[in-house]
Amino acid sequence: MRKDKNTAPAQEFGQSISVSHANLWYGDFQALRDVSIEIPARQVTAFIGPSGCGKSTFLKCFNRMNDLVAGCRVEGSFRIGEVDIYGKTDVNDLRRSVGMVFQKPNPFPMSVYDNIAYGPRTFGVHRRAELDEIVETSLRLSAMWDELKDRLGRSALGLSGGQQQRLCIARALAVRPKIILMDEPTSALDPISTGKIEELCETLTESTTIVIVTHNMQQATRISHKTGFFLLGELVEFGDTDDIFTDPKDSRTERYITGRFG
Amino acid sequence: MTASRTREKIGKAVFAAAAIICVIAVVAIFAFLIVKSLPAFAKLGVWDFMFGDTWSPDRLDTYDAPLSGTYGVRTMIVGTLAATAGALLIGGVLGYFTAVFLAFYCPPRLRRILSAVISLLAGIPSVVYGFFGIVFLLPLLSRIAPNNGSGLLATALILGAMILPTVVSLSKVSMEAVPRAYYEGSVAMGATHSATVFRIMIPAARSGITASLVLGVGRALGETMAVVMVAGNAPTYPDGLFGSFRVLTANIVMEMGYAGEVQEGALVATGVVLLLFVLLVNLIFGAVSGRVVRAAVSHRRNPRRRMSRGGSRPCRRLWEGLSLRLHRLGDGLRALSHRLRLVRLGQGMAVAAGVLTGAALLLVVGFIFAKGLPYLWQNPSLIWGKYEFGSHRITILPAIVTTLWAVALSLIIAVPVGVMTAIFLNEYAKKESLPVRIIRTAIDILAGVPSIVYGLFGMIAFVPLFGGSSSILAGSLTVSMMLLPTVVRSTEESLRAVSDALREGSLALGAGRLRTILRVVLPSALPGILSAVMLSMGRVISESAPFLYTMGSVISALPHGPLDGGASLAVALYQLSGEGWYMNEAYATAVVLIAIVLALNLLAEGCAARLERRLKGETNAKR
Repeated sequence: MRKDKNTAPAQEFGQSISVSHANLWYGDFQALRDVSIEIPARQVTAFIGPSGCGKSTFLKCFNRMNDLVAGCRVEGSFRIGEVDIYGKTDVNDLRRSVGMVFQKPNPFPMSVYDNIAYGPRTFGVHRRAELDEIVETSLRLSAMWDELKDRLGRSALGLSGGQQQRLCIARALAVRPKIILMDEPTSALDPISTGKIEELCETLTESTTIVIVTHNMQQATRISHKTGFFLLGELVEFGDTDDIFTDPKDSRTERYITGRFG
Repeated sequence: MTASRTREKIGKAVFAAAAIICVIAVVAIFAFLIVKSLPAFAKLGVWDFMFGDTWSPDRLDTYDAPLSGTYGVRTMIVGTLAATAGALLIGGVLGYFTAVFLAFYCPPRLRRILSAVISLLAGIPSVVYGFFGIVFLLPLLSRIAPNNGSGLLATALILGAMILPTVVSLSKVSMEAVPRAYYEGSVAMGATHSATVFRIMIPAARSGITASLVLGVGRALGETMAVVMVAGNAPTYPDGLFGSFRVLTANIVMEMGYAGEVQEGALVATGVVLLLFVLLVNLIFGAVSGRVVRAAVSHRRNPRRRMSRGGSRPCRRLWEGLSLRLHRLGDGLRALSHRLRLVRLGQGMAVAAGVLTGAALLLVVGFIFAKGLPYLWQNPSLIWGKYEFGSHRITILPAIVTTLWAVALSLIIAVPVGVMTAIFLNEYAKKESLPVRIIRTAIDILAGVPSIVYGLFGMIAFVPLFGGSSSILAGSLTVSMMLLPTVVRSTEESLRAVSDALREGSLALGAGRLRTILRVVLPSALPGILSAVMLSMGRVISESAPFLYTMGSVISALPHGPLDGGASLAVALYQLSGEGWYMNEAYATAVVLIAIVLALNLLAEGCAARLERRLKGETNAKR
């Protein structure tokens, strides 16, 4: 029974995301306008665009974090694999399959170990051996095991900013998500930590789909396979990263990537 | 998954139920005040009651028969206002200058000690202040007074000392919150330290200082026991500095023990009048602190400019003329003060006030300890002796046990309800929705109700529930209502301080609301909640007015259970000091009381600091 609870949520979510005609309002303000997109499985997809263009808002639709915003209204169809996530879906199940890493590292005020074990414990894993294994695998996946294996019992708040962010990634990995959403995960970090996280993204695509919002266009070119450019709530252009940055179809995209506005 | 969803629902229902209990408490108090006072107001007439200047109740008066007593509280309204004004004059002025001293003139090491002492003094029970008044102040004043020294001056001095910690700590905080850059900017132009302090720093902190004074006034208005012990309590106007007079709170506590039907109604009505004053003060406080917030948001500190924008044109012109003249007057005054070098005077005043406050506080605690400790040393049986009926050997062991019972019971009631209400308000309810605003307002009002009004409520509502005589249970229920607003507010504050990033982090991992709250939010908020609990403990130990007629006022045998009654430590001190022939025992009781409260305060601070450190990850206590 318990094993069941651990391994499979009630609904099986896929690894690709398909959105058609998404509109989103915060009260009277329309933040997304008729956005449609097909995000492929096990690749890195980057969203770029100036501040306030709706890219983070769009990202947060995929795990329904927008539900927490008062006055937020969503229209359109959002599918993860075959599942309509705004239909009869358990939000907690969804978020378990679609993990998220935030702009500012947000480790819980607990030990490193407890931070990572938090997710599995939420879904009913309580055996120490099992938890130990999950913690180790997650830390190894996020390339932190050697750094942290001797300080698992220490408070996570004592780590450096870069370590905290990678810990948050490990924490997200601990529930074995199908997709990980990253909302400007490196904007608060130094270049070395940023590099480590970018490497991590690459290795993670073996098993996970990654959608990353970034302000940094070099980052998008470095790590993403696909790029979407957002402006004023619209998805202006979406395609292979190489095409977007070398041969943009839309003049607005071109002006943005050549640094003429935003 | 359905199991977890049910758990979520049950959790939410439990938290909502707690919030509803809070609302019920407020509604009950108000229903009680209205139901009990309306007949009295109707029978006596609102006008005659408020502005009649004779209070000579007849306990045999009933609502059906013509009155033989007279019920007018004007003397007490005047008395209350006079006492409050006196307290503000003494405690406010001294507190203001002490805060200036602490914030800008005090050497750092002394500042740390003095600030700690002052915040500890905020926790000293009011009966201790009253006791100090009886044994030290009144004999001193009687040398220059025509009577035994009781009256307005003694009251104002004691009340002033009581509001001093409130004024000092809040003003100090707002003065220290003024950006350092202001100071540097002024000094860089060649202004002296004192000129900068009085021309730049203090004006920038003005709204916070005003708020601290308003809070002090609120405390002075609602204070009961200390005033009862030094005011004399004859229902007459305060006549000069000396001479017996009575305040509104004293009226309730003096007569509620034996009041007749109409008299009881009139006492509740007195409570209503008192509450009106307190609410008025709270309203002013709200307006002041609201202005602070608005000023901070709009970066505009000058209310004149904002006012001159609205309004019809002639009105505006009038206002502009007036404000021009005011400006000129202000300039004139400033020029005068420059010539007189008032800043120097202010500097001197600040230092003097700091020294004086320190000395006064040392005096209160030192005097009581000097008298009480030796006695306690020679007669330790006072603390643990066995009670014997009719014996002259007093023991306060029953009082200590009663106090512990009361602390335990009232915390068991108030803390879960309060914490869960705060969780409901902060984590579940939609912010700014109507029910939430109602609950918040209700809690704000509950916080303003003077403790004696709770006592009155408990006596009439709870005591009959448990067999008609005072009991620990009735007293604890009464006090737990009083604790609710404190617990709710400070819990909410510490919940609000928990970053939303943590909540999002937990929810994004697929955890439900309940798990997020219990595992992530509450642990982070624990230091704040814990210190609220400790403060509540201190409050239960210090309070006496709400216990007097709900839990009992007799120092007798050990209580066997929560249905027995008896005096708590603070009430015991009140009784011992009032009777006059157990003064040594009273000193010793006061020592015990102060020691417990101070120990609790230190413990609270230590605990909070340690938890905070652990949360911040500076020590690795776990695993």
